[in-house]
This record gives sequence, structure tokens and C-alpha cells, in this order.
Amino acid sequence: MIKFVVFLCGAIVMSFEILGSRVLAPNFGSSVFVWGSLISVFLAGLSAGYYLGGRLADINPSSRKLSLIIIAPGVLFLTFPLYSGPVSDWIFMKDLGVRMSPLIASSVLFLIPSVFLGIVSPYTAKLMICSLHTSGKTIGTLYALSTFGSIIGTLITSFYLITLAGVNALIMGQGVLLIALAIPLYFMNLKCSVDRSGSVRIMDDTK
Amino acid sequence: MTRIYYLFVVCFTLFPLQGFALDPSEKMLFEKNSLYQYIQVIEDTAKKERYVRNQKKEYTQGGIYIHAPDKLLFEFTQMSFVSLAFLDGDPKDVLFVGLGAGAMPKYFTGRYPDAVIDIAEIDPDMLAVAQRYFYFKENERMKVHVDDGRLFVKRAKKKYDWIILDAYQNDYIPFHLTTLEFLNEVKSRLKEDGIVVANITAPYRNKFFDSMVMTYKKAFPHLVMFKGKKSANFIFVASASIKIKDKDSIVARARKIASARKFDIDLEDIASRYEPSEIYAWAGAKILTDDFAPVNLYQYQKSGAR
Repeated sequence: MIKFVVFLCGAIVMSFEILGSRVLAPNFGSSVFVWGSLISVFLAGLSAGYYLGGRLADINPSSRKLSLIIIAPGVLFLTFPLYSGPVSDWIFMKDLGVRMSPLIASSVLFLIPSVFLGIVSPYTAKLMICSLHTSGKTIGTLYALSTFGSIIGTLITSFYLITLAGVNALIMGQGVLLIALAIPLYFMNLKCSVDRSGSVRIMDDTK
Repeated sequence: MTRIYYLFVVCFTLFPLQGFALDPSEKMLFEKNSLYQYIQVIEDTAKKERYVRNQKKEYTQGGIYIHAPDKLLFEFTQMSFVSLAFLDGDPKDVLFVGLGAGAMPKYFTGRYPDAVIDIAEIDPDMLAVAQRYFYFKENERMKVHVDDGRLFVKRAKKKYDWIILDAYQNDYIPFHLTTLEFLNEVKSRLKEDGIVVANITAPYRNKFFDSMVMTYKKAFPHLVMFKGKKSANFIFVASASIKIKDKDSIVARARKIASARKFDIDLEDIASRYEPSEIYAWAGAKILTDDFAPVNLYQYQKSGAR
């Protein structure tokens, strides 16, 4: 379950970034400044998220708290069409220049969700690390899953999803996906334990 | 590790320089990876022509005859001028979106020296190439604005008689220059009887072509199309006014303009290819919007019509 969360969050970050270029183009064009703003804002969000996630992970981590962490971007995505248009139009009207306009717009629209999605990685690592003996393997697996998710998210969004539905519908769909994932996570109590063979696994402790 | 280095060396030395084969008669004058595209200036020493293109021959963006740089080399540039026959008077304010080699604005300003011309071109290197290799010169009345076409239109305060949409990257139009919202913004920059003309390439009947027809028809009350004979280009002519101009009146007007302004292309012949857009309209095609515009993918999907 946790591994799936990591994979999906990785996929959604990059899918959202691809869709973000479509969100910005009508008001800010597709200049290098737009791409530069978009990519750097996502990276800024992720790095802030990693830092915060590491801090949060040290304070009583639980899968219940993790579900709240992924519900936040879920709600932001689900309501994205409500604020993205007005925000973009407003920044367009302000006309802060070819560099600042897309940078500000990217920050307002994309920074907060990417912070939350960034928190997921270190937080889940902490949840899954049961012994220092295997912590390297656990962290490596999570890194790989997250990045693999990003690859899949990028590819299916740019190759297929864009022909299937509108940008707003796709972003809302991501929100639905995150919320659908967060709800069962909230009621599960995932903890790690060491089974008899000595291998570490995540167990559902609610039963 | 050394193997990886070797691979890098091979990639970086071979690919950018020799990736694109030239015909024996072709000579490369210039190449550059600009901010937006790979630009190549090629001279064909047999045909005595010079082109600017992206990676492939099919991605040619413009060109000239070396010994007659003021003539129009490509069919789509010639065909675009037929749209002048839809205007009642001479165009005074003109906007080109996409510069290419600058052949069209150069040709136009030669025949209509009083017109004030704005050109929106996103790529500063394209402007430099047009100036250096294609005899394009800005002047008091003809200015190039290095800006995204969509942004230039959105920020424009002025209204235009004639707007030419010809912005391409490789073989496609950037999606935000294809949508209904963009066409409405273009329409809002047209004078009452203003005309917009677009160059749409369609090597075969694909979904993108279908969607362009329906999107233009949705944005404008009238759409007339002209099909290329030598090329896979269609010229879309749309007007914001409700007056319909029939084929006969366009042919007559084209003849008049061609002689009055000394056109060296057969404008009347082009005008005779007038086709109402109903021929190509297919109600099943999706209208492109800022929310939904899969331009690249639609170009590779066959039309669903018939």
C-alpha cells in the first residue's frame, strides 16, 4: 500500500507538471521563460517538501497522518479549475514582465501541491524503515518507485491522456485519485514489523 | 565507465553535426540550436534556392530564389495573398504571427508600402537568420516583436485589417495558437471587415485538420479554404464580418488587385480554387480549446470523417 502511494505520488507530480505547461500557455505563452519557471517551481516545491517531510517524519509518523498529507493536494487538484483561470488572468493583467509573470503564476498554482507531494517521499521512508540493517534497501526501493512513477506519469500524460480529456478534467482526476487513496489509508494502521524469517514487511495492524 | 564516456563522445560529436543528411546539391550555410528549435539554412546550388528549415526537408519554414529574393518561392506564401481579395480596401494595419524567412512581409510591403506591419516572432535567432540570409529588413512601418504570438495578440491595443497566422515549430502549430480562445482573441483584434488567414498543413486528412476546420468555423461566421496544388497546405480565410463573398467576386477582385499592385503570381488562378469550408466540415471533429488541444497526437491520427 505504502509503495503504491509513493509510486502514484511520483506519477502525479510529473503528470501535473506536463499539464502545468498547458495551463500556463494561454496566458504566458510557451517561451523558455515559461518552461524555466514551471520546472524550477516544481523542483523548489519538491525540495521544500523533502525537507519538511523529513522533519515531520521524526514526530510520531503514522499512515493516518500520511493520508492527511496526500488529501491536501487532492483537494487542491479537485478544485483547480475554480481558481486557475482567475489567478492566471489576474497575473496576466498585472503584466510583471516575460520572466516574472510565468514565475509568479507557476508559484501560485503549482508550488503548494508539489510541496505536499514532496513530503510523501521522506515520510514514507520513515514509516517503512524498520531496521537500520535494511534501511538502505528500503530507501533505495522507495526512490526507485517514486521516480519510476514519475516516468509513467510523464509518458501516459503526454502520449495518451491529453487526447482523452481536457486539462482541467485530468487535474481533477488526479485529485480524485489522491483522495480515493487517502481514505482507506486513513483507516488503516500501517506499521512495520519483523516476521519470523527476519524479513521486514509492512503489516496491517488494524485486525 | 570508459565505455560510457565513449558513448557520450559519440553522441555529442556525431549526432548534432551529421544527423541530418543533405542532398548532393545542398550546401549548409548556417545551423544553430536556438532557444526554440534547430535552425538550418540550406542553399540548393542546382535550383539556386535558399531555405530555412528545422531537422527535415518537410520542416521547411521559408525560402527564397537566390537571384530573385523578392519573389515568393513557396506555394503557401503565394496562396496566402489571395486573402487580400476578401478585403474591400487596401490593408492599412497588418499583423503576421510567425516570421519564417520573412518572405511574405517583404513581398507585401513591396506592394503596399503605406501599410503598417507588426510581426510577432518568438525566436530571436529566426529574426537574425531572416536578416542575414533572406534579405529581410525592418523599417519605420514594419517592426518585428520578439514575443510569443498568443501574448502579442492578447496584449495588442491596435486593431488590424489583415492578420496572418503562420507560426510553426517543425511541422506543427504550437497548441495555444490553435484554440478557440486564441481565435476569439484574434477576432477581437480585427477591424470590422478584417480578415484572418492561416496556413494549415495537412499531408493527409487527419484529425488535426478536421478540428481546425471546425474550430475556425466556430470562431468566425465565414470560412473559405484554398487547397495547395504542389504542397500539402491549405489556406484558411476567415472574416469577422457577416457579409459573404462568393467565388466570382473574389476571383474578380483578385484579378484587379494583381494588376493594380503588380503581383508576379497568378492570384486569379489561386482565387479560382475557392472552396466553401462546408466541403471539409465534419461535425464529429472536436473543437480545440485551451483545455483540450492534442495537436501533436491528432496530426498522426486519421480523420474520422467518411
